[in-house]
Amino acid sequence: MTPSDYIAVPLLVSGVMFFLAGSAGLLRFPDVYTRLHALTKSDNVGLGLIVAGLVVEADSWFVVGKLLFIWLLVLLAGASVANLITKGAMQRGTRMWTR
Amino acid sequence: MKLIQPNLRAHSSEHTSVWPLRWPGRGHWLGFLRRATLYALLWLIVVEGDLSSLWIGVPAVLVATTASTALRSPATMILHELFRFVPFFLIHSLMGGVDVAWRAVHPRMPIAPHLVEYPFQLPPGLPRVFMANTVSLLPGTLSADICAHFLKVHVLTDRRDTTSELRKLEQRVAALFGVVLPEGALE
Repeated sequence: MTPSDYIAVPLLVSGVMFFLAGSAGLLRFPDVYTRLHALTKSDNVGLGLIVAGLVVEADSWFVVGKLLFIWLLVLLAGASVANLITKGAMQRGTRMWTR
Repeated sequence: MKLIQPNLRAHSSEHTSVWPLRWPGRGHWLGFLRRATLYALLWLIVVEGDLSSLWIGVPAVLVATTASTALRSPATMILHELFRFVPFFLIHSLMGGVDVAWRAVHPRMPIAPHLVEYPFQLPPGLPRVFMANTVSLLPGTLSADICAHFLKVHVLTDRRDTTSELRKLEQRVAALFGVVLPEGALE
């Protein structure tokens, strides 16, 4: 392992952990609204950590810029789509799970 | 959802510049040049600096610049405020991810969802949409609907004071867009 691997690997592994937790939330949470909480937030952090890990290993500044740009686009798409799905579910009268 | 509102246009009509960023300086051609520079940089990033692609890149940059100038929002971000907003956003969205990940894998799933209606002080248009999108990535909150006068927020737990946290976020978004809220600036 090169020195940069010692920074990159923990970042990549923790990124995968967040994707796993997001998927756990998607399966375990009781309704569409709570599931979106899990998906938008933990996937955002998971992808952020994976991008950070890949930035450490990147060969050029262009690749760094491209990775950060991808994260920004996914961030924007994720938050916007979550809002649209929530709004749609509300308009169709989907019941909210409450404790 | 209507993005461009007349009162906002009046608010920032004196600024013609790159959206979503605003540098000090005036004039249409200057704004066009800034946008073109931004998109040229983006093109170079996408092709990883391969200059032989410029015969496609230059027309693409010109078309993108023209389209984005025509579609630009009347509300514009202030560049130096963006540098203050980004660290805040990174820290809080990390907290949001950790919080929901922990609740998702916890054996008893400690959640108590409910709805909060937050009355907007921000002007309609981009600032409200920006706030709604940010809310969805911060701990425990998910934007449900942008209504005429309030933001409907789905909250995952009832352990914290959501309204005062949303108020703090709204003040940060207001500062980012150079809007002064009725209740005053960020303390």
